[in-house]
Amino acid sequence: MSSQPLLSVRGVHRRFRTGPTVVHALNGVSFDVAAGSMVALVGRSGSGKTTLLNVIGGLDRPDAGTVHVDGTDVTALDEDGLSRLRREKVSYVFQSFGLIPVLSAAENVAAPLRMARVAPAERERRVELLLELIGLADHARQRPAELSGGQQQRVAIARALAASPQLLLADEPTGQLDAETGLSVMALLRGIVESEGVTVLVSTHDAVMMALADRVIRIHDGQLDEQAVGQPYAPVPDAG
Amino acid sequence: MNRWLTRRWPALHWPSVRGRGRADAGPLLLTATVIAAVALLAGAAPVLLRAAADKAVQDTVRRAGNDSNVLVRANWERDDGPTGGRVRMPSLAEDLDNFRARATSALGPDLDAALLPPLAAVNGPILTITDGSVPRTFQFTYLAGDLGGPDVTWVAGSPPGPAVSDEYVETPYDGPPWPVQVGLSEVDAAALDLGPGDRIPVRDGQGRDKDVRVSGIYRPTDSADPAWRLAPALLRPVPGADGVGTTRFAGLLSRESLPDARLAVDEDQLRRAVHFAPVPDALTWDGTAALASQVVKLKATSGSSGDREQSLKWESQLDIALRDARARNNAASTQAAVLLAGVLTATVLVLLLAADLLVRRRTPVLSAARQRGAALPDLGAELIIESTVVSLSAAAVGLALARAAAPGVSWTWAVPVVLAGALAGPAFGTLAAARASRDRRQPANPAARRWIRATGQLRRAAVEAAVLIAAVAAFVTLHQRGLLPVASDSATGELTGDLILPVSALALGALVGALVLLRLLPLGARFALRQALRSRRPLAVFSAAQAATTAGRALPLLVLVSTTALASFALILGATATRGVTDGAWSTVGADARLDVGADAEAATPALAERIAAAPGVEQVVVAQVTDSARVFTESTLLTPRLVIVDTAAFRRLLATTPLPDAPALARLTAPGPGPGEVPALVRSSDGDLRTGTRLQLPREDAPAIRLAAVGTAPSVGGVNNVVIVDAAALADAGLPAVPNTVWVTGPGAERAVSNTGVASDVVLRADVLRAQRVAPLTAGLVRLAWTAAGVLLALGLLGLALAAAAGASQRWQTLTRLRTLGLRPRDARWVAAGELLPPVVVTAVYGPLLGALLARLTLGPLDLRLLTGQAADPAAVLPWWLLGLVSVALLATAAAVVPVESALRRRDRLSEVLRAGE
Repeated sequence: MSSQPLLSVRGVHRRFRTGPTVVHALNGVSFDVAAGSMVALVGRSGSGKTTLLNVIGGLDRPDAGTVHVDGTDVTALDEDGLSRLRREKVSYVFQSFGLIPVLSAAENVAAPLRMARVAPAERERRVELLLELIGLADHARQRPAELSGGQQQRVAIARALAASPQLLLADEPTGQLDAETGLSVMALLRGIVESEGVTVLVSTHDAVMMALADRVIRIHDGQLDEQAVGQPYAPVPDAG
Repeated sequence: MNRWLTRRWPALHWPSVRGRGRADAGPLLLTATVIAAVALLAGAAPVLLRAAADKAVQDTVRRAGNDSNVLVRANWERDDGPTGGRVRMPSLAEDLDNFRARATSALGPDLDAALLPPLAAVNGPILTITDGSVPRTFQFTYLAGDLGGPDVTWVAGSPPGPAVSDEYVETPYDGPPWPVQVGLSEVDAAALDLGPGDRIPVRDGQGRDKDVRVSGIYRPTDSADPAWRLAPALLRPVPGADGVGTTRFAGLLSRESLPDARLAVDEDQLRRAVHFAPVPDALTWDGTAALASQVVKLKATSGSSGDREQSLKWESQLDIALRDARARNNAASTQAAVLLAGVLTATVLVLLLAADLLVRRRTPVLSAARQRGAALPDLGAELIIESTVVSLSAAAVGLALARAAAPGVSWTWAVPVVLAGALAGPAFGTLAAARASRDRRQPANPAARRWIRATGQLRRAAVEAAVLIAAVAAFVTLHQRGLLPVASDSATGELTGDLILPVSALALGALVGALVLLRLLPLGARFALRQALRSRRPLAVFSAAQAATTAGRALPLLVLVSTTALASFALILGATATRGVTDGAWSTVGADARLDVGADAEAATPALAERIAAAPGVEQVVVAQVTDSARVFTESTLLTPRLVIVDTAAFRRLLATTPLPDAPALARLTAPGPGPGEVPALVRSSDGDLRTGTRLQLPREDAPAIRLAAVGTAPSVGGVNNVVIVDAAALADAGLPAVPNTVWVTGPGAERAVSNTGVASDVVLRADVLRAQRVAPLTAGLVRLAWTAAGVLLALGLLGLALAAAAGASQRWQTLTRLRTLGLRPRDARWVAAGELLPPVVVTAVYGPLLGALLARLTLGPLDLRLLTGQAADPAAVLPWWLLGLVSVALLATAAAVVPVESALRRRDRLSEVLRAGE
């Protein structure tokens, strides 16, 4: 683990206005995440988990505060800069997988590599490696509809890893999966952190999932629960 | 029973109904607008067509003129006297009154109401005026209506009186000419230079002098009195009525002088007839069948009778005029029905698409309601109340507007639209709510996933097969039975049961065409994707992937293809009808102008033609003998085609230099006949009785028949389909010289050249025929309906495109946003969106018009368009390429506008919101 934090969030505020009501989704959130760690972001629905992930990934802009990823101030980037950031440093895994239905698993994984204009031979090698990593090498030619939910989420994770990002943001990646499949997906993320050295920030409200994380950050009404920040990772013996 | 009794009524949550209505006011208003607009069209079109049918009947009868009169003749009672002479019958005028009354009472109430009061006319033979000057003829006439004859003022002398005062007079057959008094109009008297008391020097056809004296000079009180039309020479001299250079004069008989007129000529030379002129404005479409039937019955009762028999002999072309009007109206009704069926099909599809969009917007709300415990029947009832209110209100507005725009309203055609508007939304909404409460997870078992896919494919194949079978049945019915024979007598555009299948052929054909493309487009999209995957351009891959993902969406493509094809069909129908009217005018007249020379003036036709040819601006003059219903024998049958005897070289030149279809087979007419003594002929018949190779015989009086051999197919002449054409020189060589009675004239000066020829002839001008045909109620109505339908269909297509884009927008921008999380730039996202939206639109822009053209080719024949255009044969489809191109351009322009508009709208949405909404 490097001493220099990969992700640094400082004093982030985000408010949403719905009619006359102002909702403080994030209210002065600050924390750091070291490179190569897996951090679980936990909290109830509406606590601000997804907003925080969106601000970190540049999908949303904070009203105040800064977010640095690998030294880059995300909040200062324009659209092209954000696109470059997402192409090179930050990637996402969503609850609903978000795969392109007409592309095979391999082609879905290759999508970010195409965007980065990686040479075909290198692209194929990388896709093969990633499918091997997620245990779906035999399903490379299958389309998402031919895969189970867990398999689709694995493909989504492989796609997120394809461009070798430094930070992977996963928003409730097991939300549509049963407990057993969800656990295996989380175990996969855990394994990736260790094998690829990727930093993973994953939002979840599942206690078992939290156990796989290096740290758990609890968020409540847009504010961090300081007592929980820094809770160590406790391995779960039957996790995958 | 218990279950039924315990079943509760749906519990409606009115705040939810109101809230959903307010939130989705836009789509609901759009749905209402579509329903109202189509209800307006569907409500007004049949009624306007029905009004046009009334006008068409009136127009047809008006154009038929005196031919549409109902005429009844009867012989006079014999006037043989007991001593071998002829008896003067002083009550002859009363006899005529009785005859008129007898004829009126035989009409029946329907016919009586549709006809003007009768007018009896008694005409003497055509006599020659023997004053040695220019050829002049004379005829005496008696006119009597219910209130007497036409009013006149005697300006000199007195009305004609009896020649004798005795009650009983018998005159020998070979006695001196019996005197008869007549009145002369001021104009006639001045032209003849005669006054009261003068004798008119006249002689009959046998050279016998007649004793006709002028009793007085009269001035007509109203020269526009219809009675004068029966004998216009009673008003003023009529040139050319009895041959070139002749002028006819006429003398007016009175009740008192009528008995003398009988004795003044041979017993059978004074003819009486009662004329009933129709009142065009009193004729309506509803009454035509009964009227035509009554006229036919009257004609059937005439039968043959001996010379002395006094039974009524009815003559009229009114039934034929009414039958023609009915045929044209049936054709117009079915053509309109076909167009309306297309519009309704497209509307129903657009309403389904609108409902789809509405439900996509509402799915989160409905899901939430379901999760809160709302029962499906409750949700369904709420949705159906909303959609029913919207649909019925919109339809009511549309029908009210139709009622304001038309003399009535027809609601039949609006029913499918209202049903679609009322049911589609609730059905889709209830299904969405049901899905929301179902476990949506993908089955882990591959076999289960395959089973789900197979079930879906089977369901879709069953629907497609049903549409295909219905379309095949519709086209078979359309081609085997046609539309006219199955149209009921009262067909006025209302959809009747026996019409539904053939009338739906066009719409079903469009649907089948759309389904074919729906099958092909995904294949094409996948092929494009495979090609793109080989490229190194990521945008090409994502665009192709997006296009392949959405290529299988049925409803948007069905709407786009159907509306484009149907709009193209409507444009083709309109263009074909418009061109057909022009061609029909050429076909009807045969040139820029045609002269139909009267029988008495036929001998002067060649000289007349030479005079016309010398007139300025005349390019071609062709003379021919045209005989309708000529008697021609085949080996076993008597046929009555139109016989045209013409100089074939001149006729060919005429065809070659006008838009009339060329007939290269005419060259064969001047070649020797296939057999010895046979004259080559071209033949044409609608029923196939006359075809190449047929041997014909043309009978002659007091001479052997001329043998004709059909050596080719004749062109239609004057819009008639049963034609035999023979070369005039060849026929003359065979012993039958032609007596031309028709002159075709072309050139800018044709109209002026054929006017005032001084010959009794009918002048038919192409410009007049064209003008009349263009404003003919049914033709003009159909063309207007075709253009309107094309506009409505195109608008529906563009609306469908916008709805389809809106319905898919959420999913599209979800995917694009996800791609942006992979690093796709905003401007690249727009290209990918365009790559998804444009391919089906581009394909439709090409395929739709082609499908429309194919449908036109398949359906125009049975639509009997020729009945409205006046063409001899069903017209070939005219493809208005620039209009079809406009349809394509409108589609492409709309699609091209959708992407930036959608992008601009979505730019306001933060990526995070888009992703959150999709979770």
